[in-house]
Amino acid sequence: MTGQDPVTGQDPAARPDPGPAGAPAPSLQRRLLAAALVLILGALVVAGLAIGLILDRFVRGQLDARLDAQVAALVAGLEPGGALRLDRALDGPPFDRPGSGWYWQVRRGGAALRSGSLSGHDLALAAPVPAPSENRPRPADGVGPRGEALILRVLVLPDATSVAASAPRAALQRPLREAGLALAASLGVLGLCLAAGAVAQVRLGLRPLDRLRRDLADVRAGRRARVPEAQPAEIRPLSAEVNALLDQNAAQLAQARTHVANLAHGLKTPLATMGLVLSDPARDPDGRLARLVGTMDRSVRHHLRRARAGARGGAVRARTPLAGPLRDLAAALERLHADKGVAVTVAVAPGLAAACDPQDLDEMLGNLIDNACQWCRGAVRITAGAAEPGIRIAVEDDGPGLDPEAMARAARRGQRLDETVPGHGFGLAITTELAELYGGGLDLGRAPLGGLMATLRLPG
Amino acid sequence: MKLLLVEDDAQLAAEIVRALRAEHCAVDHARNGEDGAHLGDTEVYDAAVLDLGLPRRDGLAVLRGWREAGRTLPVLVLTARDGWSDKVAGFKAGADDYLVKPFRLEELVIRLRALVRRAAAHGATRITCGPIHYDAGLGAFERDGLPLRLTGLEWRVLSCLILRRDSVVPRGELIERVYEGDAEVDSNSVEVIITRLRRKIAPARIESVRGLGYRLSPGEAP
Repeated sequence: MTGQDPVTGQDPAARPDPGPAGAPAPSLQRRLLAAALVLILGALVVAGLAIGLILDRFVRGQLDARLDAQVAALVAGLEPGGALRLDRALDGPPFDRPGSGWYWQVRRGGAALRSGSLSGHDLALAAPVPAPSENRPRPADGVGPRGEALILRVLVLPDATSVAASAPRAALQRPLREAGLALAASLGVLGLCLAAGAVAQVRLGLRPLDRLRRDLADVRAGRRARVPEAQPAEIRPLSAEVNALLDQNAAQLAQARTHVANLAHGLKTPLATMGLVLSDPARDPDGRLARLVGTMDRSVRHHLRRARAGARGGAVRARTPLAGPLRDLAAALERLHADKGVAVTVAVAPGLAAACDPQDLDEMLGNLIDNACQWCRGAVRITAGAAEPGIRIAVEDDGPGLDPEAMARAARRGQRLDETVPGHGFGLAITTELAELYGGGLDLGRAPLGGLMATLRLPG
Repeated sequence: MKLLLVEDDAQLAAEIVRALRAEHCAVDHARNGEDGAHLGDTEVYDAAVLDLGLPRRDGLAVLRGWREAGRTLPVLVLTARDGWSDKVAGFKAGADDYLVKPFRLEELVIRLRALVRRAAAHGATRITCGPIHYDAGLGAFERDGLPLRLTGLEWRVLSCLILRRDSVVPRGELIERVYEGDAEVDSNSVEVIITRLRRKIAPARIESVRGLGYRLSPGEAP
C-alpha cells in the first residue's frame, strides 16, 4: 500500500514505474530471448557438425567403393601363374590421366604393374603395406609422385601380391566443401526462422503480463474495480493476490472510517451536552466556556475530516458517476434549506464520472452546494461536464458573491482554524484541500447568476 | 407541539428535554432504537428528533421502518455523523432535516418549529387567524400585535389549533398532541385549558364542534 505516496494528479497509468530499490532486474523478455538464442545457436552448431560428419562418411564411402571396385577389377584381371600380367586393359578414365591422383599399382616382389596416370612412377605407401587379409581392401594414406595427398585402398593377396588403387584427397574434400557451404547457408536460414519464432513466442507468452499491467493501471486510475480473474494459470495466483490486496485495502479504509466515525460520535455527543449546559447564562455568564466548546468542536471536526482524508488508500481510486450523487446532494440540500426555499438545478453530461472516492466526492460537492445555498437568494445552478483533462463541476449562486480578496482567503488551505469563520470559508477550504489531494483544484469566480461561482476540477 | 426524542446519551437527552420543555414543547424520550420505533408507531407526535448511532436498532433503520409503514411524521436527524454522504443517506432514508452535533439549541428549536409548520402545509413562517398571529420561527403568539403570555399546555393547544385553523381538530388527537406519554390526563383538563385560552384570545374563538372536536376561528362573526 502506498498510502504515503503523494498523489500528483498525473494519470497514474502514465507515471513511469518507480521499480524496486537497487539495480532493476533484467527484463523477462530479454532474458527469455537470450536463452532461446543461445540454445538455437548451440543446436545449429551440433546439427552442423553431425551433418558434416555424416556427409564426410558418405562421400568417403562413395570414394572407397569406387576404389574397391578398381581393386577388385585388378585382382580379377590378374593372370594366374608366375608372371605378373593383366588380361585386359584397366586404364579407363580417370586412371589414364597422368598426375590426376587416380592411380593403381599391382606389385609382387620386385615386379609391378601401374596405371598410365602414374607415368612409371612408383606409388609410395606412407603406411607399411598391410598384412595379408581376407579379400577386403584396407584403407591407407599415401603420397603421389608429385607429392599430392592421396587416399588409398590396398588389398594384399595370399601370394603377397599387393593391389592398390588411389584417389586424390581433393576428390574427397571438394564435394565436402561444396556441401558444407550449402549446409551452412540452410542452417543459417533455419537459425533465422527459429530466432524469429522465439521472439514471437516470447512476445505472445508475455502478453498476459502486459495485459495485467494495463489492468492494474486501470485499477489505479479507477477505470476498473478489480483485476479480472480470468487469467492464464501462471498469472491467476498473482491476480488473485492483487485482488485480495485490493479487498484488504478497502476493508482497512472502511475500518479506519468506522474508527473515525466512532471517535466523532464519542467526542461530539459530550460536546453537544456541554454546549447545551453552557447555553444557560447562569452557568457561563460571559460565554467564554461556550466559545471554548466551539473551538473544540471546530478542531475536532477539522481533524476528523483530515483523518478521514488520510485514511484514503491513494493507490486505488473508485470511478464514481456524478449524476446520482449530484441529484441526491441537491435533494438533501433543498431540504436542509427548505425554509429559505432554494431551487437547485443540476445539469450533468450523461455518463460523466469522477476518478475519486464516492465519500470524498460527496464531501467536496456537499460543501460547495451548501455554501451556495447559504449565500444564494433562491437559485443554485450546478453544471458538470468533461474538460480535458478530467472533469469540471461549476456551482453557481445568485447571492452577493465574494470580492477577490475574500475569494483568495476563502480558498486558502492550511488556514488556522480560529481564523476561519465557519460558513463561507470553512467548506471551501476543505473542498480545496480534498480536490488538491486528487490532483484537481477549486477556482472561484463571479457567476453569470450574479453570485459566487465555484468550479471544482477533478480527474475524470 | 409534542415531540419524540430518540437519543441514547442520557446527559444530552436530559439537556435537550429540559430545553425543549422550556420552549413549551411536550417531549417523550426513548433511549434506544427499539423503544423509539415503537413510540413512533403507536403515539401521535408533531415531529421526532432521531439520533443515528442507537443501541438495539440503528436510527436509519428506525426511520426506514416508519417510512415503509407510511408514517409521514416529520423527522429531524440529530447525529455526530457530519459527512455529506451520511447526510445524503439520512435524507434518502426519509429524514426531513439533519442537524450535526454539537448544535445550538435555538437552531434545533427553530428547525423543529419549521418542520411542524411545513408538515401542516404552511409556507410562511407567520400564521394568522383573525387578531391572533403565530410566528413559527420564534414560536411566539401575538394578539392585535401584543405578545400573548401562555403556559406550556395553552401554547401547545393553541399552536395545534392555529396550524390547522379552519378545520376541526378531534378532541382525542388534541389530547395526544398536548400531553406527554406518561402524563396523567384528566378528562376535564383540556376543557379547562380551552376555557382559559378563550379568554386570552378573544375576539378570536375556539368553537366546540359537538362530537368532533375544536376549531379555531377568527371570530369576526357575532
